[in-house]
Amino acid sequence: MKEGNYDVPDGLYYSREHEWVKLEGKLARVGVTDYAQNKLGDVVYVELPEVGKQVKQVTEQKTKEMELGAVESIKAVSAVYSPLSGTIKETNAALQERPELINTSPYNEGWICVLDASALEAELKQLIDAKAYAEYLKKL
Amino acid sequence: MGHPYIPNTREIREQMLREIGAANIDELFADIPPQIRLKRKLKLPPAMSELEVKRHVQAILAKNTPFTQMLSFLGGGVWPHHVPAHIRSLVQRSEFLTSYTPYQPEASQGMLQALFEYQSMIAELVGLEVANSSMYDWSTALGEAALMCARVTRRQKFIVPELIAKDRLSVLRNYASGPGLEVVEVGYDHRTGQLDLKQLRAELGGDVAGVYIENPSYLGFLETQGDEIAAAAHKTGALFVVGVNPISLGLFKGPGEYGADIVVGEGQPLGNPVSFGGPSLGIFACRDESKLLRQLPGRLIGATTTLDGKARGYCMVLQTREQHIRRERATSSICTNAALCAVSAAIYLASLGPRGLRDLAELCASNASYAMKKLNTIKGLRAPIFDAPHFNEFTLNCDDTHVSIQKLNAGLLKRGIQGGKPLRAEFPELGKTALLCTTELHSRDDIDRLASALKELLGGKG
Amino acid sequence: MSYQQARWAEPLIFELSKPGRVGWTLPEKPRERINVPKELLREKLELPELSEPEVVRHYTRLSQMNYSVDSGFYPLGSCTMKYNPKVCEELAALEAASYIHPHQAEETVQGALELIYRLERCLAEIAGVARVSLQPSAGAHGEFVAMLVTRAYHKSKRDDKRNQVIVPDSAHGTNPASAAMAGYEVVTVPSNARGRVDLNALKATVSERTAALMLTNPNTLGLFEDQIIDIAGVVHDAGGLLFYDGANLNGILGKTRPGDMGFDIVHFNLHKTFATPHGGGGPGAGPVGVQRELEKFLPVPLVEYDKKKGRYYFDYDRPHSIGKIKGFYGNFGVLVKAYAYLLLMGGEGLSEVTEAAVLNANYIMRKLLGVEGYELKFDASGPCKHEVVFSAEPLKRMTGIGAHFVAKRLLDFGTHAPTYYFPPIVPEALMIEPTESESKEELDRFVDALRTIFEEARSDPDKVYSAPTATAIGRLDEVKASRQPILSWRAYRELAKE
Repeated sequence: MKEGNYDVPDGLYYSREHEWVKLEGKLARVGVTDYAQNKLGDVVYVELPEVGKQVKQVTEQKTKEMELGAVESIKAVSAVYSPLSGTIKETNAALQERPELINTSPYNEGWICVLDASALEAELKQLIDAKAYAEYLKKL
Repeated sequence: MGHPYIPNTREIREQMLREIGAANIDELFADIPPQIRLKRKLKLPPAMSELEVKRHVQAILAKNTPFTQMLSFLGGGVWPHHVPAHIRSLVQRSEFLTSYTPYQPEASQGMLQALFEYQSMIAELVGLEVANSSMYDWSTALGEAALMCARVTRRQKFIVPELIAKDRLSVLRNYASGPGLEVVEVGYDHRTGQLDLKQLRAELGGDVAGVYIENPSYLGFLETQGDEIAAAAHKTGALFVVGVNPISLGLFKGPGEYGADIVVGEGQPLGNPVSFGGPSLGIFACRDESKLLRQLPGRLIGATTTLDGKARGYCMVLQTREQHIRRERATSSICTNAALCAVSAAIYLASLGPRGLRDLAELCASNASYAMKKLNTIKGLRAPIFDAPHFNEFTLNCDDTHVSIQKLNAGLLKRGIQGGKPLRAEFPELGKTALLCTTELHSRDDIDRLASALKELLGGKG
Repeated sequence: MSYQQARWAEPLIFELSKPGRVGWTLPEKPRERINVPKELLREKLELPELSEPEVVRHYTRLSQMNYSVDSGFYPLGSCTMKYNPKVCEELAALEAASYIHPHQAEETVQGALELIYRLERCLAEIAGVARVSLQPSAGAHGEFVAMLVTRAYHKSKRDDKRNQVIVPDSAHGTNPASAAMAGYEVVTVPSNARGRVDLNALKATVSERTAALMLTNPNTLGLFEDQIIDIAGVVHDAGGLLFYDGANLNGILGKTRPGDMGFDIVHFNLHKTFATPHGGGGPGAGPVGVQRELEKFLPVPLVEYDKKKGRYYFDYDRPHSIGKIKGFYGNFGVLVKAYAYLLLMGGEGLSEVTEAAVLNANYIMRKLLGVEGYELKFDASGPCKHEVVFSAEPLKRMTGIGAHFVAKRLLDFGTHAPTYYFPPIVPEALMIEPTESESKEELDRFVDALRTIFEEARSDPDKVYSAPTATAIGRLDEVKASRQPILSWRAYRELAKE
């Protein structure tokens, strides 16, 4: 679906920090939303987390353990916060060579990492669905 | 009458005040609490006309004896060379001189291209792929290199040679104190000055972030074990950092060629006057590896094109490392650096070219060679104290005489000669030793004159 | 008045090189054999080979494609791009200033020592501090030194818990960066609706972990922190030190002094307030001044005067000093220029500088408030000081064109753009510092240009989007530049081969 100018695909979970989650069994694939990539501008570099790193689900008070990495444009750096707690299983090496995938394909080729979620059921309650995220975007 | 640097005269200012609806200038300062208002005039010398300022400052500076008016053998981190006249006339062009950081690349291509050329030349000189567009000086570049090694390797120890210049060590310790890096000194062979490899290998555990040497060393000799030191460092995952006098690289291999990951140094001798030690020019270069590049401090200029791809242009790149974007997570707080000195260096290197720089380096070394030969013939003197090849600086020892370095220098000064830097305060174990430097400014006659004066002083009457 | 910058498609100097050309001469051929093992000698060095006239022409052309204070209005906020008097250049270039070696016998450099001593006295008086170290090379360097002094101070009091430094959310990036370099954790305190430090938030932020608060006054919005006495009280009561970022000193010379406001450590930017040239990014100088209690921690050496012997000397006998923070004594060449500037202005002249600078900024503020598209985010009821920060948000809302494009279009009017997107607390910020060096006519032209840009944004936006066109080159692909960095001639050449 679309909210204004932004793509908000169904079937994904979203966080208020503008990340999306695609459930793949017990694993969760994570990236940033179309709204996020639009606000970031042209991405020039992606700082990917290390495989094996343990992360916590992001809360109001952001800490380092909630960071998945960072996305850089030429004028800004934005931390990417983890929508779920867990261990990093895989990161998207393609982003090293082609960081612009985050702009051109934020929900597909621009995925950032895959998490082995540690408290999936409980934490999913903190995330919202496409409809709710679209509503959230309206208010920004 | 108006002030020459303030175009808006009192009349114009009064008109402006009226236009903005302010009764007087004090209204614009009314928000300063009365308790902190300065209720008196600033106690400064009264304003002088340009003519008077010139006279006043010239009178003060006249109390200096420039080394052009005496025969000086001082070096030790800043070295006297001839600065070709066209360098000054170019960097004094106010388009360079009175510009600032090229935040608007479209209007600042001059500075950007000049700095890109500087980066390119330094990279060639030191044998590495990436050089930034300057740091404050050698010592702070070293400090930042240590911090960079710690960030890249996530380790806390940094190894330096015992014979490192003590001032540079002090600066390094200050930089290391931030993240709590441990600075460890490794000893040297007392005959050759070379780094004690056995001690180095013993210190190299899994906790060393970087190993640093100076080549030529502070005391003038060349470190011949560069390859081995690099191998030892890399074997344990530490980075290899080398500090240089860039003039020497006209003759010698760039440290990148023998395994350096980072090179720092003092760029002052490249077209900048000695100027009592400042302005200076910090050289900083590293290997082109993503993990190093991301942690590099300082400004970087990159080549690109216009949006339509038709024309070449230059702009600052990878600014996300820097303070104006990353703030407390920046690779360094450096903002203003030594840009104009870097442009001087680029012009200098372009004017000398590879042949000119080699000839210059050869002459500097040749003069030192001649000086050591001559001074060694004087009873009681020994030059150098290390049995190793030297560049243009060397140590002179007078342990076998009855006088101190200070006494010799005082006698030399009476004869219009500035002797070498006494080293006792920095390295008491080296006895009565001084550090001397020769450059292309010295002639054989100059060196002969030094030798005769020393002979005379040691012969009896001082 | 129309503007057109020179335009040369000037090749890189390496591309102009021809083997055998050389741009200098050496006095004498080396004669002595140098005993260096062959494996240490380099085989090849790729540097350009050009004659002197070619080098001169190349860099002359480059200079023509570079905007500067001497070219036109340069209102970069907090940079104080004022006129650089040329007599200062002459004096710093004298042999007696530039051909002295830092290790020369002290009796041969009494002039240099005297100049450093006198400059220190002047700066101490201007800021209301006891002693000043002239060693730091730049503002950020001075801030770093101030942080080291802060740590040394708390360490001497055995106060180990103080590991936090507070900065306002409007602070210049070098502040938190310098504090972090010194090992401190940086905590941000928000600004209130008046654009000043929120005193209540500050009270909630200080603790026994507070080492210092870093502040500039006037702040980066150009507003005077009128609650500074209370702010100082809060920080001092919590046991912290107060550090003054001197970037905005031009707004208060002769009116008030940081030392009198309660600041313990003060840094100066000689290349801003004291008119030494910016040099395209340096060299500058960032002296650090302190109150009496902190004097002993300053870097060595300081210059003292021995009355009995009637001579100046370097004092290294300072056991509590943090040591050295740079080789030698500071950027002496820059110190000469600043000292000469102080003599040219005198105390009253400096007050006049501030009055003219502050009036110029307020003049722009009032005039620009009458131009659609630009607004003040904070308090427009009181005066600003030497700089003013406008927001181009209304313009963006109306036309989609924000501060970035305004800045680019301004270049076509022969004006350097103000600082934009800073401070971070103002959206579409345009940070304008005119300095006292600008005439009323220049300010009127600037306001007119901004008005014209607003009108263009509405009726002929392509003119704005395609800007700049009067500069040597048009908009650059800065994204490509950072995605695939080409950082040297060698890299460029290798890429061109592919």
